[in-house]
Amino acid sequence: MTDTTDTLALAPVKGSNLTRELGRAWRSMLAAKWPLLALLILLVVIFVAIFGPAIAPMDPNRQNIMMRLAAPMAEGPNGSVFLMGSDGLGRDVFSRLLYGARVSLLVGVAAIVVGGTLGVSAGLASGYFGGWVDDVLGRLGDIQLAFPFILLAIMFLVVLGPGLFNLILVLGIGQWVTYHRIVRAQTLSLREKEFVEAARAMGDSTFSIIFRTILPNIIAPLTVIMSFNVASVILAEASLSFLGLGVPPEVPTWGSMLAQSRDQLLANKWWLAIFPGLAIVMTVLSFNIMGDWLRDFLDPRLKERG
Amino acid sequence: MSKTRSLFMAATASIALAQTATAQVSDDTLVVGLSADITTFEPAAISSRDNANIVRHIFETLFSIEGDGSVVPDLATNLAISDDGLAYTYTIEEGRTCHDGEALTAEDVAYSFNRAKDPANAFTGNTPGFVFSSVGFVDAVAIDDLNVQINIAAPNPIAFGLLAEVYIHCKDSYEAMTLEQAAASPVGSGSYKLASWTPGSEVVLEKVADPGTFQNIIYRIIPEASTRSAELMAGNVDIITNVAPDQIDAINASGTAEVQAVQGTRRMYVGFNLSEPFAAMPGGDAIQNPDVRRALQYAVDVPTICEQLLNFPCVRATGIVNPPNANQSLTPYPYDPAMAEKLLDEAGWPRLEDGNRFTIRFQAGKGRYLNDENVVLAIAQYLSDVGINIELDVMEWGSVYVPLIRERNVGPLFFLGSGGALWSPLYDMTDLAKVDSGTNYTHWSDPRWFDRWADISAAKTPEEQRVIIDEMLQVFYDDGPWLHMYFQPDFYGVSNRLNWTARPDEKVYLFNATLN
Amino acid sequence: MWTFIVRRLLQSVIVILGVTLISFISLQMGGDPTYLFVSERASEEEIQMIREALGFDKPLHIQYLTYLWNIAHGDFGNSLSYRQPAMGIVLGALPATIELTIFSMVIAITLAIPFGVFAALYRGRALDGSIMTMAMFGQSIPSFWLGIMMILFFGLYLGWFPISGQVPFLMPLFQGDFATAFGNLPSSLYHLVLPAVAVGFYSLSRNSRLVRSSMLEVLGQDYVRTARSKGISERAVVVNHALRNAWLPVVTMIGLEFGFLLGGVVVIETVFSWPGIGRLVFNAINQRDIPVVQASVIVLSVIFIALNLIVDLIYVRIDPRVKL
Repeated sequence: MTDTTDTLALAPVKGSNLTRELGRAWRSMLAAKWPLLALLILLVVIFVAIFGPAIAPMDPNRQNIMMRLAAPMAEGPNGSVFLMGSDGLGRDVFSRLLYGARVSLLVGVAAIVVGGTLGVSAGLASGYFGGWVDDVLGRLGDIQLAFPFILLAIMFLVVLGPGLFNLILVLGIGQWVTYHRIVRAQTLSLREKEFVEAARAMGDSTFSIIFRTILPNIIAPLTVIMSFNVASVILAEASLSFLGLGVPPEVPTWGSMLAQSRDQLLANKWWLAIFPGLAIVMTVLSFNIMGDWLRDFLDPRLKERG
Repeated sequence: MSKTRSLFMAATASIALAQTATAQVSDDTLVVGLSADITTFEPAAISSRDNANIVRHIFETLFSIEGDGSVVPDLATNLAISDDGLAYTYTIEEGRTCHDGEALTAEDVAYSFNRAKDPANAFTGNTPGFVFSSVGFVDAVAIDDLNVQINIAAPNPIAFGLLAEVYIHCKDSYEAMTLEQAAASPVGSGSYKLASWTPGSEVVLEKVADPGTFQNIIYRIIPEASTRSAELMAGNVDIITNVAPDQIDAINASGTAEVQAVQGTRRMYVGFNLSEPFAAMPGGDAIQNPDVRRALQYAVDVPTICEQLLNFPCVRATGIVNPPNANQSLTPYPYDPAMAEKLLDEAGWPRLEDGNRFTIRFQAGKGRYLNDENVVLAIAQYLSDVGINIELDVMEWGSVYVPLIRERNVGPLFFLGSGGALWSPLYDMTDLAKVDSGTNYTHWSDPRWFDRWADISAAKTPEEQRVIIDEMLQVFYDDGPWLHMYFQPDFYGVSNRLNWTARPDEKVYLFNATLN
Repeated sequence: MWTFIVRRLLQSVIVILGVTLISFISLQMGGDPTYLFVSERASEEEIQMIREALGFDKPLHIQYLTYLWNIAHGDFGNSLSYRQPAMGIVLGALPATIELTIFSMVIAITLAIPFGVFAALYRGRALDGSIMTMAMFGQSIPSFWLGIMMILFFGLYLGWFPISGQVPFLMPLFQGDFATAFGNLPSSLYHLVLPAVAVGFYSLSRNSRLVRSSMLEVLGQDYVRTARSKGISERAVVVNHALRNAWLPVVTMIGLEFGFLLGGVVVIETVFSWPGIGRLVFNAINQRDIPVVQASVIVLSVIFIALNLIVDLIYVRIDPRVKL
């Protein structure tokens, strides 16, 4: 490894550098194979999330209770086919899966955006200003960590009522501490770096220093955390659905589909669990693999070993 | 190496030990799997069905209502009602004893009633909250050792049955206990006493007198339906309640247990909230019109919902009263969406350009009734098929939906079940005793119903009363505030080693369960 | 060192106050809980009477201050649904949860070390591949689903393990009844296997990966190379040098891990009918049984904070580079 890559995370980002880094990323991905597959899966999921409604053969909420619990490939209404069977209300599992991609991904990404925005702002403030700001935010983080997240989520959702927006809010709030801690640590070390001092000496405003100089340089480690986090948020959504605190019953998400399948597991209606389950496993797995790869890619120290 | 082996041996040995510890249930013990937790053994604080089912084995009542609605003496041998209908004098059986060894006398009975009423105790259970407020309980006085007089505020044709729900407990012990102690240490006169209680986990009862076949009854709290069914199929539990409809076939196929499906008495309905604030909401104005309400009766395929979602064939309700006591001349509304559309057109709610006639909110709680969430979704689908744009609002049951219900602020459409009984049509009808009754969640105010209660009180013979009841039920059928659904079936999983028959009124009494 | 402990303890008090305040406010925002405690046909007067008896008629800040005042005197209030001292109920449910959490922590950490070490030592080979595949899946399967599948497969179909329920070990132990406690122990452990795996599988997977990568990192360090070049046996290198350093990141995890596992317990206790604090607090939140929620939250926070403090102190012992 050369010196240029070593300073990737800590040096000011320049345009030409970026193109070169992207090329390097692509080559590294090609070499590692698994991340490439993960990327491919994620692209498919994103494609489905965007174009799912156009592909879906049926209305995901159209019930046919006379045709409930139909096995995969069984005949549906008006000569259609339940590709992946039908659920307890005779809704098409395949169509719900396609629509579910959108909601599940939305929940995952939006929660990260909410948590990330809160956490990064708090982390920048803590790291840059220190003092009482840091104390207050740090203590808030302690409070939250002293409290199993799921309890906090249950409490908020019972009070606010379940719903997509509340769910995203709660899952997002659950994530902010992680970002706060990482960004704070990064900011602390960056604050003393030459290029930040240079910006300060040139009379840049605090705002400009934080957002133009410091923030771009912590994006890289953040993306690693984010990709792991999307995975855990998708799982958390499934658990909350299990407790009856997920999205409203008519909104399909993979987690709620899996949670709804639980009474049918004993009755061997495997398709209700297997398809959403696979969707979750594949997506979460891909995010995790991407996270691993990103971490290795951005942290050259690890690349040297072995 | 030898070390590893001995470790391994120890592990297998302990597993073998453990297996004997979890082997099949012994012959003098009955194990019941319940879905909801038991919160108290305070007789005046009990309100949930599961809780009452356990406690009934510990406490006796004056009279007892059987599964078919017939009334049999329990503690009392005789009841005399004064001419003005305000004083109920019970004669109790001689020689009854409490679990604390004291004789059970009229004084204990009077104490049980008065203690439940005492505002200082702030009890909220079925006795003070439902029985006393329904009958207008005044006080109870012990006349002598065996006779006790219960005074109520107004004559009430069903007071007798309601007073039979009060648990009789023993004065000496309760006077010596704080409320906290009383909540965990019941002292009654029934055939079982509480042996141990682990909140959230299990309750163990131990037999002290007849009737009762099993020496011990263990109630285990198993909230998850699949886990409950699995325990039953594995033979670790003898009876489970609330079997998930989709697991019935798997249990029946297991060869170790069978599901008993019982037509219950709980009346399930979709209510129309007719109050003024709700009339101002979207769709609230439409349902003010009885013709619209009647049209919607035709839109929902209730028998299919029962068969598919409840796994139970049902006859659609014709009203508020359980079938044996219903107006026999009424036939259930058939599923006829074309008729529904025609009536809606005629009522002045044609389909607009977007295909919808009107938009209306439909509220429901979940996790309370059999497969409720899916039933509600199915109803919503049927209603939208005839052009009603449903805004579904499915809420958490206990903390969100119940307060709305209690404040009578739910709707304009809402899904609810109300516990019923077979022993009197009037019991079922008291939900709507007055326009402002706490249980008139619909704010229905039709004088053709509410003005007739005076006639019922004035009726001289049961036949005369029956005529009035039938007329009221006809009004309810035509222009009532309910979209009639079904009487909820109850599913009990029963192990093949057990001989026990479930009752239709959600009561699980195990006195005469026997081994096969 | 002592100033560090004292400072941490003072901070903890603030944290616990904050925790109670947050749970108090959020539960109160959910509306008037009185209705959950009155029966169907209660009149307005009765409802008002109950409201006063439960104390919900007073202004919120008064309710909270009263609550704090009572806590300071050791009174955590009575559970609204059980009508018994809330702290007693919470402490009664605590041992079951501790058993489950500790056992799943044992699975999540002690198994993770050999898994991670062997995966690292056999990097790129079949063993590494299968351990890492398992770990990847373990991090992708929702625990409730894993739990139900294990009940159906290992409990019902194969009959290897109990389907649900708990046999108390810690409870009699705390009560001083050693005969019962150790008599129960085998059966208690036997009942713990499935729920503990369901709770701990996610963490086991994550920790295996963590150990593996820190092991790989250590194996690449100079001092390990030096040790190898000195001709020290591979086994000794691994045990004496690599392992000692590789499990440091795992120790840091223990404190946070405990909180994480406690979260998973809420779901798994429902699936396995485990009479612990997770299910208790979930029901209590739904019932708006504020005293029980508060008592649980306080107990859990205290345990969590104490554990993290201990972990920090241990860390100082095992990693000489860290100073307080």
